[in-house]
Amino acid sequence: MNEPLLGGMAQTALDRPGPLLRRGNTNCGGCGMSNLLQMLGHAAADRSLQLMVPASCAAVCGGIFPFSTFDAPTLMTTFAAGSSFASGAATVARLNGEDTRVVCLAGDGGTYDIGIGSLSAAAERNEDVLYLCYDNEIYGNTGGQRSSATPSGAVASNLPRGKAEPKKDVLAIMAAHHVPYAASLSLAHADDTIRKLRYALDLSGFRFLVVLSPCPTGWKSEPALGMELVRLAVRSGLYPVLEIFDGKRTVINIEPDFSDEALDMYLSLQRRFQRSGVNAAALRPELDRLWQDLRARSGRIVPARRGV
Amino acid sequence: MHQQSQAGLAETAVLPAGLRFPLEVRVHGRGGQGGVTCAKLIATLYSQMGLSVQTFGDYGSERTGAPVAAYTRVDRTTIANRNKIYHPDHLLVLDDGLLGAQVLSGAGQGALLLLNSRRGMAGFGERFPHCRLGVVDATSIAREHGIGSASLVIVNTTLLGAYVRMLGLPLDVLERAYASLGLEEDFAAARHAFDAVETREVADAEAEAVEAVAPSAPVAPLTGHFADTPPNLLTGAWSTQTPIYRTQAAPCNLACPAGNDVVGFIQALKSGGADAALGILLGTQPLPSVCGRVCPAPCMHACNRKSFDGAVNIRSLERWIADHATLPPERRKAERPRRVAVVGGGPAGLSAAYHLAVRGHEVSLFEAAPALGGVLRNGIPVFRLPRDVLQADIDRILALGVQAHCDGRLGGEEVRRLAETHDAVIVCTGFGGENALAVPGGELAGVEQGLAFLARAARAPETVAGHVLVVGGGNTAIDCARTALRCGAASVKLVYRRAREDMPAIGEEIEEAEAEGLRVLAHRQPVAFTGEGAVAAAVLAEVEAGAPDASGRRRPVVSGRTTTAPCDKVLLALGQRQELDLLPEGWEMRGARAWRDGTALAVWFAGDCATGEGTVAHAIGNGRRAALAALANLSAATAEAEPEPGVPVAPAEIRFSHFDVMPPHRDRQVAPLARRENFAESNQGLGGPEEADRCFSCGHCTLCDTCLFYCPDAVIHRAEGGYRVDEDYCKGCGMCVAECPRNAMEMREKGS
Amino acid sequence: MTVQLLSANHAAALAATLAGRANRTGRGFCSGVYPITPSTECAEYLCLQEIEKGRVVRVESEHSAMGVCIGASASGARAFTVTASNGLAYMAENCIVAASLRLPIVLVVANRTIGPPWNLWTDHGDALLLRDAGIIQLFCADNQEVFDSVLAAFRLAEDAAVMMPVMVCMDGFILSHASAPTEIPSQEQVDRFLPPAVVPHRLGQGSHTLGQIEVPHQTEVHRLQHHAAMLGVPERYAAVQEAFAAVFGRRMPDALDTYRTEDADALVVSMGTIGATAERAVDILRARGQRVGAVRVRMFRPLPAEALRRVFAGRWRIAVIDRDVSLGFGGVLWGEVRALADTGAVVQNYLAGLGGGDVRPEHIIGMLDDLLPRREAGVPELVEAG
Repeated sequence: MNEPLLGGMAQTALDRPGPLLRRGNTNCGGCGMSNLLQMLGHAAADRSLQLMVPASCAAVCGGIFPFSTFDAPTLMTTFAAGSSFASGAATVARLNGEDTRVVCLAGDGGTYDIGIGSLSAAAERNEDVLYLCYDNEIYGNTGGQRSSATPSGAVASNLPRGKAEPKKDVLAIMAAHHVPYAASLSLAHADDTIRKLRYALDLSGFRFLVVLSPCPTGWKSEPALGMELVRLAVRSGLYPVLEIFDGKRTVINIEPDFSDEALDMYLSLQRRFQRSGVNAAALRPELDRLWQDLRARSGRIVPARRGV
Repeated sequence: MHQQSQAGLAETAVLPAGLRFPLEVRVHGRGGQGGVTCAKLIATLYSQMGLSVQTFGDYGSERTGAPVAAYTRVDRTTIANRNKIYHPDHLLVLDDGLLGAQVLSGAGQGALLLLNSRRGMAGFGERFPHCRLGVVDATSIAREHGIGSASLVIVNTTLLGAYVRMLGLPLDVLERAYASLGLEEDFAAARHAFDAVETREVADAEAEAVEAVAPSAPVAPLTGHFADTPPNLLTGAWSTQTPIYRTQAAPCNLACPAGNDVVGFIQALKSGGADAALGILLGTQPLPSVCGRVCPAPCMHACNRKSFDGAVNIRSLERWIADHATLPPERRKAERPRRVAVVGGGPAGLSAAYHLAVRGHEVSLFEAAPALGGVLRNGIPVFRLPRDVLQADIDRILALGVQAHCDGRLGGEEVRRLAETHDAVIVCTGFGGENALAVPGGELAGVEQGLAFLARAARAPETVAGHVLVVGGGNTAIDCARTALRCGAASVKLVYRRAREDMPAIGEEIEEAEAEGLRVLAHRQPVAFTGEGAVAAAVLAEVEAGAPDASGRRRPVVSGRTTTAPCDKVLLALGQRQELDLLPEGWEMRGARAWRDGTALAVWFAGDCATGEGTVAHAIGNGRRAALAALANLSAATAEAEPEPGVPVAPAEIRFSHFDVMPPHRDRQVAPLARRENFAESNQGLGGPEEADRCFSCGHCTLCDTCLFYCPDAVIHRAEGGYRVDEDYCKGCGMCVAECPRNAMEMREKGS
Repeated sequence: MTVQLLSANHAAALAATLAGRANRTGRGFCSGVYPITPSTECAEYLCLQEIEKGRVVRVESEHSAMGVCIGASASGARAFTVTASNGLAYMAENCIVAASLRLPIVLVVANRTIGPPWNLWTDHGDALLLRDAGIIQLFCADNQEVFDSVLAAFRLAEDAAVMMPVMVCMDGFILSHASAPTEIPSQEQVDRFLPPAVVPHRLGQGSHTLGQIEVPHQTEVHRLQHHAAMLGVPERYAAVQEAFAAVFGRRMPDALDTYRTEDADALVVSMGTIGATAERAVDILRARGQRVGAVRVRMFRPLPAEALRRVFAGRWRIAVIDRDVSLGFGGVLWGEVRALADTGAVVQNYLAGLGGGDVRPEHIIGMLDDLLPRREAGVPELVEAG
């Protein structure tokens, strides 16, 4: 991280008067969604936001009536229809010439699973919505059941021996809609994340961002290590950090070093991976294929993995 | 929900005295603390006694921290009541942050109230007079026994130990219950709480119980709800730890023999420019222009950035500051000015004189040579330390009012007189004679001490012809070689008995010398010099590496294999001896201080004459410490404490991932062949101060905002030149500490 | 004011268009639409209209159609959608959310049997699925009524004392696809009738959350507040009727539409177009000298219970026709109104026109022939009309 970039981003005249996720919220300590919201707040600065939140931890975190945990007008939506609610709200904002950014903040359940129909449609209609998926790879709010974002090898509360199937590639799905902007964010790389959030906030049309969001409760990991886990996932190549413009141009933002050591560390720091015995050696062939494909798409003729 | 009913009481059942049935127990905690399980464990306990039980929680959504209540109902007969518990006989509170009317509601006269709190019984004073009160610090106990994680301690099994004690039950009841549930590992903590709980009987039988509070707050209609109501959930004991900011020693600071605040001056350079940085440097040492050029920089060897992308070029940053700052030091006013004599105008003497003068004392500085500087002037070639640069540092010291007397070497008698006429004397006369090489032919013409050669060359142009052999591996050896090259030597070879990487000379200097034409012959030692009258060749024996010695370096073992190297001049640079020839009759040096007849005198020794450490930086640090020791001896009130060394930040404690790879900025050098032409300064230093950006600032907060930025709950705020943590809302997740790039934070227990 | 030959689908779309345009000085108009027979033509027609400061979003499902409406209404816009049958069932979750969030969205339902069996024709079972959701339900009997009800629905829904969705029901095909001359007012008239919509709790600039979690006490109070607003609807509806007459010079039918009931001994109670058929049956029976009258429940939610009680008073024979069946119970309308009759009255339920059966006057005459000699009511009777 470049320190000068962080310095001056928060709590300055250019920042919001208060955090987007206010103190006194009910999120677990070390929740990645909390980090994401704080970064979104800094990135948005004085831009006006509206949040559309389908059923998720974020919806619960929003507060008990009449409290408002988010420092922005917020509408709690039904699980499957975050994108539709957002389409309506964005339509009215545009009809009234307001530059309010309508942000749909959804978990992986509301994005990969139940919400993918309305998400796909809103993306195809190119609604003026910034869709932000915090992906903790489980239904965290209901106690950690599997979703189609759960990675192979992870146990879930309804999947005691671990998932056999790989995680759904939601970014590829969204890119196939040719939306103006689709990107994955690494919370551990705040400069890249803030840049992308700002870019997405200032773009019009449908923008899709997915964020690997540590869930200490569901991942059974130390709350303090959330960012480190993301860093390891990025370093090892498990979580590619990239952006796709108009569904055509793919840019890889952070080069992994494809370290098996980092991957094994990532797995070992979370008890959810312990039972299945999954390890770097088992995951690597699939990751190599993924990266070969990413290289091809990004037009970079570089071996997928050093030494291969 | 969970209900058990057992027909009849077990034969062995031990029922606590004074229980009334139905018995109603209510537990308050927060999601993740184990409140629901706590109620379930209580149910198990009573169930084992053969009683009917029922237990259930007030479920919300899954998350840590949300207030949670759980209930256990116990009776002799089957329980049909499915309501929550409004008038608990026993009330257990897992988090004293939750204590309020809602939690206490309905606990009537004589109710058992058990609190998990670090405040102790005394912390609750006269509160809850109508209850049988128990207070135990279950969080600390559970943490001690490692139950839960660092940030989320699970207290339920521990607290039950205290509960069993309050019931007057033997501990084995609990032991059996835990065994039946596979919780054997938690039993030790329960036993600990059993012993540790403080209890108090009902203090006031007439006291009013807290009535059940009705949930009757007015509810605004949805269509009339548009106000902004921020949330207000305090974290209480849900979080057991919170971050603090604390400084930890940086390895560079600890490594600096002069005691420089390296992190301090580099960060000051970044934030305040060269003048600000010089201000910090001058707090410890008066010769930054010198050290910035000739210091072997142990700080750079200790630098944590070395393990990442190369040590910070600290030496050259110091030089850049000295070359670019204009700030003169400010002479302070001494409360009681002292008269101090300093003998020896080398780095230690200059340092001692400076530190005394800048504190407002009167200093007389005695130097044997015609000009101040000592080894800096006579031993270091001008192309490494230009005389005007040295003079600038010296002038800064003299400008503070130091009286310099450069009129000859003092003897023992004169030192004795100085001691009588001054409040204190500091002797900094440096090394004595040079070490010689006792080999055949050592007396031949052309074989001489390197220092003598350097002193001569420094005074007047010197011409060297033919092949030169330098013996030694220190900076003097390298200086001799580079000077010889500039004086016209046809070739210069350096002979060193150990490996090249063992050479004590500054690495960059060796490289520069090699670029200028020096050839280093490692693992060689001259065993004889031959020639007719004048030296013509050296016999060099191969040296093998033997077993490691005390310094960890491998002891050189001279072999019988030899080669002959023709040479016309041999310069010996084998180090110097420590000797004190000016000690007056009857004096002795003990612990860098002069003693006579078992009495300590107001005379101190500093620099190489006292320690033999052999670097400018050591001499400077030594000079300062001697000056401060002398002042402290004169007046304890003004004694200045040197900073505690402490444990340095290790490379593993630095978050390398927060920094971009950025190789060090190298010094700008004149082209090697061009610099052999003259004695101009060959190293041009850094092009700018950007190298300061590479400093990790190990253990020292730079206000980089990483903690503030990564706090998931926005409870870190800027305050008074640092940060403030809002402990009421901090969840203790520890992400700020984990993410701190430089280990300037740590987690500590809340309220400690 | 012009008269146009329009299907009720088109009439409804035209009413929504005029209402949408009327909010151009407010926060505009937004509609999410998704096709399903027999409501498709309404949505299609709406999509052909130019609406200043308005947008019709062609979404991927009924669920999203209502989702768009909720997002728009929560942002202060006037919102409208239309559906039928399984589409309404799929939309149901969001309909309930719209109601519980107290958003004044107007929803037209072209009533159709919920499948399977897959059946395109009319049946009130789809709308009645949402009987308890907190949505005002109006059932129409002719094209003009559909047009008028849609216009009035916006005024009613947006009334500060009401603030909830209104569902306007029309029998699929029988109304939706039948064309009839319909009086269409000018935009200027509609502008006078429909002032800019104000959603007091809409998302603004400040922090404010809609739809949070609530504790039991808050929910019970909010439910009761919604219920109280519902109970006040008949009174507000009467005011809307007055305003409607003042602007358009035409009276909109009452919540409870009665026909020749003043001196009737027996009544036939129904909803939707069966009500119109019942009036023809009444005329035939009256011509035979039988004193019967017809009652059409136009507003099913809130049920105009007091008005029903008044009209039932002193009548001993009441036939209740349901174009729906609550399986295991009987007709939904019957279940609601039977307790409002005098003690001892015979309130007999006839299930007629289920799955789109064509209920003709002779079916209703048959019911009355069955009813009048009864001394007590029996189980609900199926009248085969298909």
